[in-house]
Amino acid sequence: MSATTAEISIMAGMNQGRWALTRFYAYIGMSLGLGAMAMYGTGGYNEDAFLYQILSIQGLIWGGTGALIGTGLAATLSTMKPSMLEGRVAPNTVPWLDGALLMVILASIAALFEPAASQISYEDQSNLIAGNIIMAMNIVFIFSAVAYIAYLFAPENFIGRIATGSAYFGIYAGGTALLLRWHESYMIDVEIGHAPVSNLYEVFIVLFMITAAVYLSFERRYQAKGMGAFVMLLVSAGVFFGIWLDSVGQADIKPLVPALQSYWMKIHVPMNFVGYGAFAVACAAGMAYLVRHRMEEKGSNSKMLNVFPSLEQLDQLAYKSVAVGFPAFTLATILGAAWAAEAWGGYWSWDPKETWALIVWLVYGAYLHARVSHGWHGKALAWWAVAGFLVTVFCFLGVNMYLSGLHSYGRLT
Amino acid sequence: MANMPAMNAFSDLIKQLWQRLGSMSLAVILLMVLSIASVIGTVLLQNQDQADYLNQFGPLWYWLFRALGLFDMYHTWWFLSILGFLMLSLTACLWRNVPKMLKEMRNRKGTLNERSLKRMELRKQWRLAADTPVDALQAAFKKPLHGWEVSAVEQDGTTYIRADKGRNHKWGYISVHTAILVILIGGLVSVQFGFRGNMGVPEGKMEKTITFSQGTETAYLDMPFQVRCNTFNIDFFQTGAPKEFRSNLTILEDGKEMLTSDIIVNEPLYYKGVYIYQASFGDGGSDVTFKFYQMDGSQKTRLASTQVYKTLNDPETGLAIEVTDFRPYNVENIAEKFGEKKFKDIGPSIEYILRGEGLKPVKIKAYMNPYIDADGNNQGSWMMVSLTGDSKDYQPVSLGIDLTNPKEWQLYHAFLSRMNEQQGTQSEKANLQAFKLALTDVFGTDRPDDFQNMGVRTLQAVRMLPQLPWPIIPMLDDFNHVYYTGLQLAKDPGMNIVWVGSAILVIGLCIMFYLPHRKLWLVIRSADGVSHITLAGLTNRNQLAFKQTFNDLFTKLDEEFSHHKNKGSNNI
Ligand code: HEM
Repeated sequence: MSATTAEISIMAGMNQGRWALTRFYAYIGMSLGLGAMAMYGTGGYNEDAFLYQILSIQGLIWGGTGALIGTGLAATLSTMKPSMLEGRVAPNTVPWLDGALLMVILASIAALFEPAASQISYEDQSNLIAGNIIMAMNIVFIFSAVAYIAYLFAPENFIGRIATGSAYFGIYAGGTALLLRWHESYMIDVEIGHAPVSNLYEVFIVLFMITAAVYLSFERRYQAKGMGAFVMLLVSAGVFFGIWLDSVGQADIKPLVPALQSYWMKIHVPMNFVGYGAFAVACAAGMAYLVRHRMEEKGSNSKMLNVFPSLEQLDQLAYKSVAVGFPAFTLATILGAAWAAEAWGGYWSWDPKETWALIVWLVYGAYLHARVSHGWHGKALAWWAVAGFLVTVFCFLGVNMYLSGLHSYGRLT
Repeated sequence: MANMPAMNAFSDLIKQLWQRLGSMSLAVILLMVLSIASVIGTVLLQNQDQADYLNQFGPLWYWLFRALGLFDMYHTWWFLSILGFLMLSLTACLWRNVPKMLKEMRNRKGTLNERSLKRMELRKQWRLAADTPVDALQAAFKKPLHGWEVSAVEQDGTTYIRADKGRNHKWGYISVHTAILVILIGGLVSVQFGFRGNMGVPEGKMEKTITFSQGTETAYLDMPFQVRCNTFNIDFFQTGAPKEFRSNLTILEDGKEMLTSDIIVNEPLYYKGVYIYQASFGDGGSDVTFKFYQMDGSQKTRLASTQVYKTLNDPETGLAIEVTDFRPYNVENIAEKFGEKKFKDIGPSIEYILRGEGLKPVKIKAYMNPYIDADGNNQGSWMMVSLTGDSKDYQPVSLGIDLTNPKEWQLYHAFLSRMNEQQGTQSEKANLQAFKLALTDVFGTDRPDDFQNMGVRTLQAVRMLPQLPWPIIPMLDDFNHVYYTGLQLAKDPGMNIVWVGSAILVIGLCIMFYLPHRKLWLVIRSADGVSHITLAGLTNRNQLAFKQTFNDLFTKLDEEFSHHKNKGSNNI
C-alpha cells in the first residue's frame, strides 16, 4: 500500500503543476512546429516521405524550435498567472503524450534490429519485425483480458496490477509496431511507403490501442477496474479477428490506391477510431451494467460485487465514453466530408460508408437525448450502449464486407 | 361570435403541436426514424441501371420499390420530409429553450432557499464556533477555486457565497442545435443550386456536357465551357496497382483556350465556380487490329481493323466480334509457387465477345504476347475464355504455339501434315520422328535453340487447337491506344455554409461536453451560538468528476475549518 502510494505520488508530481504544463506546451509547440514545417519548410509537405521529414535534421529544427517556444510560453504564462497550474487539461493529457514519445523512441530502437535493406522485399515480408511485435501485443492483450477476468473472481491487488500493466504494455507494443510498420513500408519501397492507417489490419491495432487507452484513463480516475474485463474481452475478440486477417494475407504492407494518397487520411482515420474506441468502452460499460443489474436482481452477494463499480457509476462511465466518442466521431465525419469534397467533388454522396457513419452518429445522438429526457433509465440505456456499438461494428466492418461503394478499398478479398 | 371557441380550439391545437414538435421525445424518435430509413439506401444499391433492378427483383418488387423511390431513396419526397420535420423540430426546440437559457446564463442570484438546498445531491455540513469570521471562511472557500466566479450576498443574517464555473455552458446547446440547422440549410442550397455529374473525355477530344442520374433517369447539363483531354497517364507501382492517374486538360470557351492544367486524384482543377475532379478512366475507343488465324488448315492469316466498343463483322465466316475493352498493360503475379509473388507486366490484352451462327457466344480476353513464365521460358500464346460471358468465369486456355512467331504457325501445320503421313501411328517415337521432319521442313538445318520446348508446345497445340469450335482464332496484332479520362464536375454553393455549420457544431459539442456548468455554495448561518456551514454543489454534466472535485474541496475546507471547530464536524 505504502509503496503504491509513494510510486503514485512521484508519478503524480511529474504529471502535475509546472511539470505537466511545461511538457504540455512543449508537445503542442512541437506539433505546431512540425505542422509549420509541412506548410512552409523546404520541400514542403511530401506525401511520400513525411515520416523522414519529421525525423530529419529539418524536423528536429522545426519541432525543437516549436517545443522551446512552447516551454518558454508555459514558463512565462504560469508565472504571470499561477492559477494556470491548477488546470486539468495538461495533467490529463500529458501522460498520453509522453507515451506517444516513448513509442517513437521504442520504434526507433526496434528499427535497429530490422534486416538489411537487401534482405527486404515486397514479395516476402515475413522477415520484418513489426509483425513479431504485433504478435506480442496480441498475446499481451489476451493475457490482460484473462487477468481482468481473474480479478473479478479473485480481487487481489496484484492481479489487478498485472491486468492493468499488461494492458499498458499492449498499447505500447501496438504503437511501437505501427510506427515501425510505417518505417518498414518505406524500407520495402519509398514509393509504397505510407502511414499505417490504410487497411483494416492496421486500423484494428489503432482501435485496440484507443479502446484500451480510453478505458485506462477512466480506470486511473474513477476506480473502475471491475469494468476492465469487459473492455479487454472486446479487445480480445478484435485481436482474434486481427489474427485471422493476418492468416488470410491481409497483414501485408500494400501500396495505396491514388484516392488514399492524401494527408487527410492521416487525420480522418485516426480521429474516426477515437470515436469507435470510445464507443467500444461505452459498450463494455453497458455490458458490465447489465451483468451487475442481473446479479443484483437475483440477490447475489458474490464478492464480485465489491470490485464492480456501482450501477450509477457504470451508467456515468458509459455516458462519459459517449461524451468522448461523440465529438470525436462528429469531427471525424466532418473531416471525412472535407476529404470527400476534395477528392470526389462532393462532401456527401450517400455512399454506404458515409451513410452508416451518419446512422452511428444518429444512434448515439438519440442515446444522448434519451438520457436527458425522462422515460429512459439505466437498464434501457445500457442496452442502447451495447446495441449502438453493434451498429458501430457494422459501420467499420460490415460495410466493407457486405456493401459496395466508394470506400470499398477497405474491402476484404 | 360562434367562431370564437373553434378559433381557440384551433390555436390550442397549434400550440400543442408546437409543444410536441419541440419535445425531446420527438427528437429521439426523429433521430431513430432517420437512421432506420437511411439503412434502406445502403442495402439497396442506389442509382443503378433500371434493367439490373428489374432483373434482380422481378417485376412485382421492382415496381413496388420504384413507386417508393427506393432506387434513389435519399431524394424522395418522404425522406426529404423527415429531414424537413427535423428542421422544424429543431426550430421549435430552439425557439422554446433559447430565451430560457439566455435568462439562466444571466442569472446571478446568490441566495438559495431551504428547499433547493435540500435537493442538492452533493452536500456537507460543519458546525463551527459562532465567532468564526465570515471573511476567513470565504477566503478559505475561494482559495482552491481558481478560475471560478465567486460572489457573496447576505440576507436575513445568512451569508451565501456562490461560485460558478462554465456559466456559458448553455451556449453549447444553442450552437449544436443551430449548427445542425445551418448544415441542413447548406445541404439544401447545394441540392437546389449546385450540380454534380460525370464527363468522359477521350484523349484528344473535347466535351461539354455532364451526365448525372435524376431519380430513375439520366439527365444532361451543358457546362459554360468545354474540356479537352490532351493526355491521360497512369503510373503503376511495381505490384501493378495504379499509383497515379493524371489528366492534362485544357479549358476552352468558344474555341478559345483559357487554361491548361494537370489534375490528379485529390487535386482538382477549379474554373469559374466549377471543380473538375479526376474520377475514373477507361479505354477511349482505341484502334485495334486483329489477326485472324484460320483453322481450316490453309495456314492463312488475315488482318482486320476496328475500334474498341465497336463490333467487327467478318463476312467470310459470319462471325461478329464485339470489342469491349483493351488494356495496354496487365501486371500480374507470375510466381509459380502458391503464396509467392513476382509481379510482371505481361503485355497488352483485348477483350471481346465472339458470336456466330451455331456457336455459343463466349467472352474472350486474348493477350497479345505469349506467356513467358518466371524462368523466362516461352509458354506460347494464350487467352482467357468465359463460356458464361461473366469475367468471373474466365478459364485460361493455352494455345501451345507462339502465334506472334510465324514460323511456329508454320511448324504447327508442318507437324500436322507429317503426322498425317504416319497414318495414325501415335506412338511417342512416331511423334518425335514427325516433329523432327517438320522442324527440317520449316527451319532447314538451322534449328532454333529452344526447339525442344517448341516440340512440347507444338504437341500441345495439336491437342488443343482442333478442339476450339471457332473457324478462326482472333488475336490482337496491333493497336493505337487512347484512354478516356473520367471527370467529375461539381459546383456546390452550399459547401461553405456546411463548413461553417460544422465548425459551430464541433465547438458547440466541446462546450456541451467539456465545459459543464458547475455551481458551489457555501451557506453560513449563525444560530444558537453555533455557525452552521453548508457546502453544496450542483452540475449538469459529468457527475463523477464533479463528485471528486467536490470531495477534494470538502477535505481541504475541513482541514482549514478544523481550528474553528465547535462540537466536532457533523457531516451528512
Ligand atoms: C441531429 C440532430 C441533433 C443533434 C446532433 C443533437 C445533439 C445534442 C446533444 C449532443 C445534446 C447533449 C446531450 C448531453 O449532453 O447529454 C443535446 C441535448 C438536447 N437536445 Fe439535441 N440534438 C439534435 C436534435 C434535437 C432536436 C430535434 C431537439 C428538439 C426537439 C433537441 C433537443 C435537445 C434538448 C432539449 C437537449 C437538452 C439540453 C440540455 O438540457 O442541456 N435536439 N442535443
